[in-house]
Amino acid sequence: MSLLEAASEHDALERLHQLGCTDGLPVVIPTADRVARMVLSTGYEPDLVLGVMGPLYGAATIEKVATAAVMAGCLPDHIPVVVAAIRAVCQPEFDLTEMQATTHCTAPLMIVCGPARNACGEIASGFGAMGPGHRANASIGRALRLAMINIGGARPGSSDMALHGHPGKFTYCIAEDEENSPFPGLHTTFGYEPDESAVIITGAEAPHSTFFTGDRDDPASVEALLDVIALVMANPGSNNVHLRNGAITVIMNPDHTEVIKRAGLSRQDVQAELASRATISVGTMRRISPTFYSQTMQNDNEAVSDEAADEDRIHVLKDPDRILVLQAGGSGLYTMVMPSWCAGPHQNAVVHAGIELDQACEIPGMNDLTT
Amino acid sequence: MRDSISVARLGIPSVALVTEEFWPQGDFFANSSGMPAVPRVKLPHPVAGTGEDKMAEVASEITPSIVEFLSS
Repeated sequence: MSLLEAASEHDALERLHQLGCTDGLPVVIPTADRVARMVLSTGYEPDLVLGVMGPLYGAATIEKVATAAVMAGCLPDHIPVVVAAIRAVCQPEFDLTEMQATTHCTAPLMIVCGPARNACGEIASGFGAMGPGHRANASIGRALRLAMINIGGARPGSSDMALHGHPGKFTYCIAEDEENSPFPGLHTTFGYEPDESAVIITGAEAPHSTFFTGDRDDPASVEALLDVIALVMANPGSNNVHLRNGAITVIMNPDHTEVIKRAGLSRQDVQAELASRATISVGTMRRISPTFYSQTMQNDNEAVSDEAADEDRIHVLKDPDRILVLQAGGSGLYTMVMPSWCAGPHQNAVVHAGIELDQACEIPGMNDLTT
Repeated sequence: MRDSISVARLGIPSVALVTEEFWPQGDFFANSSGMPAVPRVKLPHPVAGTGEDKMAEVASEITPSIVEFLSS
């Protein structure tokens, strides 16, 4: 890793901006001492390679990842989540190289589950969890982005070809509100024990707001809730509809999960109901995407015959497990739906990695990285 | 670009078709993949959705270059 020299932190910041090493916002200058202390806090050797990040195919060593974490403003407490996130996105199934290069507006949404939510800096899961204002969420998500820029080589307009970008490409990290959720921790659906910690990462668009006001006296209230979420999932402009088989994230607020709880539905029930209800008509797809959609369906061996009626319905997702359902956010009227990119050799699959809380070193005074 | 590079790595002649807007990205991938000279032909941008007549026009313009790369 090359070492730059500058006369002052101000000059160093300007140089980093000029080199395209930032996300456009000021960063903490990754001095050799700060990076060394962050490396130390990981408990790993600096040259340990966590994975390879395309399209630059840079080796994500602990030292480079620690550099990104310092620049992002992370505390050493946050680093176990950052390390896990790098491990997750470097898994081939995530299609990181293609995702970084795509024209679509997709960003890795990090969902933190288990004890790490509290042990790694109080990662917010309530009001405004996606920001702004929560240091751990902001810094951890930003560290992944800065690694994607500086190790993976994503530069807007030359290697990162997202047409419009995405605000979540600055940072996109939340914790699951496990304590108040009627569902088991989302990580348990991926094979983790409840007392383990994991980060689950999905390539996601910005949140699409989904309005619903329940009526406790109306037993059909849950039907309306599931219907409105399904309608947003089947947004005819989203890649999920045109390409199919990607993931969709559904983040329900506590009032909405209360409706689910009263109806006695499990997470699996919700996934099945949403997969069943999220449909679009053959006629709509014939009208808005006559050639592209036809090819997609042929690829899925579900070609729609010429005889199919316009009013026939097509499911947006074949696999209910690709709907990530969790609780986060404050009490109120809105659930958030995040469509996904759905492309790449593995359809940009959802990935996850365990967060190793016992690995990190707690060293007195280490949390002050401002000196 | 990645498909072209992957095919070239197998020893099979290949040419990447890259639109002018994506030419810098093509350069980036070629360099980061360690194959800076991987053959590529520049197309106008956009190509998708420009109609069959335009497609045929572009095809006739670039075909000699593709054949030349594959023959060399």
